[in-house]
Amino acid sequence: MRQFIIRRILYSIVTLLILSATIFLIVRLTGDPVALMAEASARPEDLDRIRHQWGLDRSWPVQYVTFMQNAFRGELGKSFNYRLPVSELYFQRLPNSLTLGLAATLISLLIGVPAGIISAVKVNTAWDSVAKGVALLGLSIPGFWLGLVLILVFSVWLRWLPTSGAGDWRHVIMPALALGWYFAASMLRLTRSSMLEVLGSEYIKLARLKGLPDVVVIALHAFKNALIPVFTLAGVNMVVMVNAAVIIEVIFAWPGIGRLLYEGIFQRDFPLVQGVVIMAGFMIVGINLVVDILYAFIDPRIRLTR
Amino acid sequence: MRRPRFEARRALRLLAVALILISVGSATSQLSSPAGAAAKGKIVLAWHAGFASRWLDPQEHDGTATPDNFLTALHDALVKNQGTQLYDHPGLAERYTIAADAKSATFTLRKGIKFHNGEPVTPQDVKFSYENYRGAKADVFKKKTERVEIVDDRTIRFVFKEPFLDFATLFGTANVAAPGWVVPEKYYKQVGADGFKQKPIGAGPYKLLHLEPGVKIEMEAFDGYYRPVNVKQLVMVSVPEPATRVAMLERGEADIIYFVPGELINKVGKLPGVTLAPVLSGSFFLEFPGFQDPKNPFHDKRVREAVSLAIDRRAINQAETAGMGKPTGNWINPDVQYAIEWPEFERNVDKARQLLREAGYPNGFNVDWVTPLPSFYSRGERVIAQLREIGIRGRLQTMERGIFLQRLQGGLKDWPGVQIILHGARIGGSWSFWYEGHFKCGGFNSRDRICVRDLDGKFDQYERSINPAERKKLAEEIQRGILENYYLVPVFRHAFVNAIGPRVVAQKWQDVFPTITTGYAYPWEDLKVKE
Amino acid sequence: MASIAAQTTVAPGRTGSRLRAVVKGAREAPLVAIVILGGLILVAVFADLIAPHDPTLPVKGTNIFDPPFWMEGGNATTPLGTDFLGRDILSRLIYGARVSLIVGLMGTLVAGSIGTALGIVSGYVGGWVDQIIMRVTDAWLALPAIVFAIFLAAMVGPSMWNIVVILGAVYWTRYARVIRGEVLTLREREFVKLAEIAGASRWRVIKRHILPNVMNTATVLASLTVGVVIIAEASLSFLGVGVPPPEPAWGLMLSEARPTLMAGQWWLTVFPGACILLIVLATQLFGDWLRVRLDPQLRNL
Repeated sequence: MRQFIIRRILYSIVTLLILSATIFLIVRLTGDPVALMAEASARPEDLDRIRHQWGLDRSWPVQYVTFMQNAFRGELGKSFNYRLPVSELYFQRLPNSLTLGLAATLISLLIGVPAGIISAVKVNTAWDSVAKGVALLGLSIPGFWLGLVLILVFSVWLRWLPTSGAGDWRHVIMPALALGWYFAASMLRLTRSSMLEVLGSEYIKLARLKGLPDVVVIALHAFKNALIPVFTLAGVNMVVMVNAAVIIEVIFAWPGIGRLLYEGIFQRDFPLVQGVVIMAGFMIVGINLVVDILYAFIDPRIRLTR
Repeated sequence: MRRPRFEARRALRLLAVALILISVGSATSQLSSPAGAAAKGKIVLAWHAGFASRWLDPQEHDGTATPDNFLTALHDALVKNQGTQLYDHPGLAERYTIAADAKSATFTLRKGIKFHNGEPVTPQDVKFSYENYRGAKADVFKKKTERVEIVDDRTIRFVFKEPFLDFATLFGTANVAAPGWVVPEKYYKQVGADGFKQKPIGAGPYKLLHLEPGVKIEMEAFDGYYRPVNVKQLVMVSVPEPATRVAMLERGEADIIYFVPGELINKVGKLPGVTLAPVLSGSFFLEFPGFQDPKNPFHDKRVREAVSLAIDRRAINQAETAGMGKPTGNWINPDVQYAIEWPEFERNVDKARQLLREAGYPNGFNVDWVTPLPSFYSRGERVIAQLREIGIRGRLQTMERGIFLQRLQGGLKDWPGVQIILHGARIGGSWSFWYEGHFKCGGFNSRDRICVRDLDGKFDQYERSINPAERKKLAEEIQRGILENYYLVPVFRHAFVNAIGPRVVAQKWQDVFPTITTGYAYPWEDLKVKE
Repeated sequence: MASIAAQTTVAPGRTGSRLRAVVKGAREAPLVAIVILGGLILVAVFADLIAPHDPTLPVKGTNIFDPPFWMEGGNATTPLGTDFLGRDILSRLIYGARVSLIVGLMGTLVAGSIGTALGIVSGYVGGWVDQIIMRVTDAWLALPAIVFAIFLAAMVGPSMWNIVVILGAVYWTRYARVIRGEVLTLREREFVKLAEIAGASRWRVIKRHILPNVMNTATVLASLTVGVVIIAEASLSFLGVGVPPPEPAWGLMLSEARPTLMAGQWWLTVFPGACILLIVLATQLFGDWLRVRLDPQLRNL
């Protein structure tokens, strides 16, 4: 078991290195940001000075090594645009993104799991199709359209909810719905197939023969079987949502990480983009690592996989 | 459906709700203002783009019209553009004089003016701000200034190496340059340029309460300002999505919103208590980078004229600004110094096709990219559709404004192939700013893309001349040269359409947007909310 | 993640039995999905014949923002209304089918090809090649897809074919992981071991034994990814790095019509939105059905 854990940790480190090198490269391939950072009247000497100030005049390998050295100390650089340390900006926005991600994950569970249960229990009936349809709708509607329709209906027509920005639960509902519905489909699929698997198993047939009511059968066994993969998937999805809900955050003017990243990309704010992607990658890889280890605890066969 | 054994799920849900409440609670606590609901009210402005930290620091003015929306709230200048005065409205200075030979300018500060931290505004701060200025046009000021003299405890004199005729317009136009905007020397040196942008201290009507970078700027009235400030709290929120801005206005979450897109103007105009503010701004015009190359189809004047004939300016004006712009002639605003009036351009699709045939393009030709000023993409699409009618086929290129500016400054190498740029002109000062910025060889935005030698030669003459009559004549000749040869094709003078909500006191929209050189709602201290 | 045991593997060279499995289930086929998909493909292919107007030019004799013909102010020549430039919505929808289908299908093809190839190599060759590929896959997955796509589009410039490649480069990771898992299992099967012992070269083993057997999974995955790719194209258009205007694309039409949702011109968003909804729903249903037919054990998709 320990070997497994060590191996997995090593993998995660390699992954993070590859990730950081990739984003480092990509960000530099999109063009020279110095002209954007300079004052309007900058002459070539000024641009050179700025380049030197930010360390952009050194060769890429040198820049990368310096960046990684700093990253290990927790310094992810300073944003060109905001003139603040990237880590400070990231953590400033993190609570907002966590709130949104948590709410959206809950919604995806609230839609996907019951739909999955109904779909599995009433398999191949009309209920099955309806449940699947509801979840699939989330995959088929572009998030930005859904977001705008929600604003139109609930903010403008009905006046029940505020349009945008962060605040209390009323601000969170619409963006969470627009973001979370998309992930409901994968929840549904997972719940459904996990439950179907168990519902068809010998154990359940035996329980049914014993005469236990359907409700008990389902609740006790089938659902518990589905819980673990569903919640791990939810956890993984949530981390993704926290870091990459760009479109929803733009529509709802939600002050989160996705929007920070989006603006950073378009303004060629290298350190910001690099830093945010690294942090996001760290989180995602971290969660995957935890999930893998948990699975290995549960299912010993997995410890033997490469 | 009630299932008796679902404790686990319910417990988890409760836990999740608790977690949400905790995180939302911590998020909200950052957002409430310690000043609370004030006797004099609050105004929320929904800004139509993101926020750049450098806009809070006049020392690094980037030469665009954008920073002055923020500078005018937090800072103040010796003289500035305000109301109907283009550049010489008194600010921190109560009066100023320019020497007859234009080789010096003397300013007298008001009595008792202070910065937000209580320190007095002194000529030393003015001198520091001027000499330390690193923003747009800094090179011009440095080149022409001999020295800065502190005459007494309220007077300061700028002495130039040679007659500096444009000093007043450059110095006093906030959307062009900002060396006259005064920052506290001691504080600026203490926190550094980066620290200053997080917690700016200025001499303006509002002081910074709380800055959420890229999201929100909360400000409070500064009671040490030399003019009365009516509204206690001024909050600026970044809302890049136009539909969301309109929704905020409708729900009363925002009191002033900027940039209502063409499709929503009519709807917004009909909202109860809402006033549209169609601020006439600069012109949109077409540029043909690389037209000097004989292989470029736009080298032929007939092709350029055909483009002009194909554009339906009235339709664009109607669709984009509900007709509140002007499909006028000149690309330079006619109300600035030495700008000429020009009749509205003709629209004649048949003649356009005829000219193209004569020039050797009976079936039109392809254009690699049509690039409009971000984010006015719908205008670009209208131009593309109108050009398609005569056979000129182009595609729309979109990019972030910062990148657009960067490419402009990169020159011809960043615009390969056959391209058209749909510019929006900056406004301010005198006609020469338009020429210098957008046309001149080596100009800030034009770089090496145009370079018409004889016109540039005349412009050099204009700059060297100190005879007003000669200057006027040259200015008119140059503008005529541009328009008759279609080196640039003006499209329309657009209206930056904003909207004012019902809580803001406004008999007419000009009450909220009195400054004619800008599309923004300053001076901020004059805004009022209803009781 | 749990390992995958494919029960309905196909013996070497027996691609025929896959077809038979599909055909056997034809009676339970999702007719609706097939009709929708077939119809859209036909529309895309014959767009030039079907569309009443040029999708990039304003229609003469109409105004901008004309409503559909059954509403007041509507016009029979532009039955679904006109957009902000006066262009016919119906024609744009028809030509837009082309873009959506090309981007969706080709993007999936590119993603699937890259992912399947890497998955096979990774699973079959094993060793450090496998490790490297898997780490790269993990790294790619940790990079938010949309962000990556924006960057690439900003680098190479937007055009329809660039978008296809970009989306392919972003979504291959889904395939690599799953296919690798399949290959790992297949490797241990008798017929593969037999072939190896008999001296068949690696390439031959892959071509004759591994590849046909992973095609099931790959096909199912592909049908499920098409929808995702189409939505991704819409998202890219929203962010300004999608297919460049004035080329009609459904995602672009949705994005351009954003302000009009507030202004009450619902037809500009409902029709393109409905089209996207239809095609994604159809591919999802089709994919689900395929999965049940070809490979019921795939839990984690």
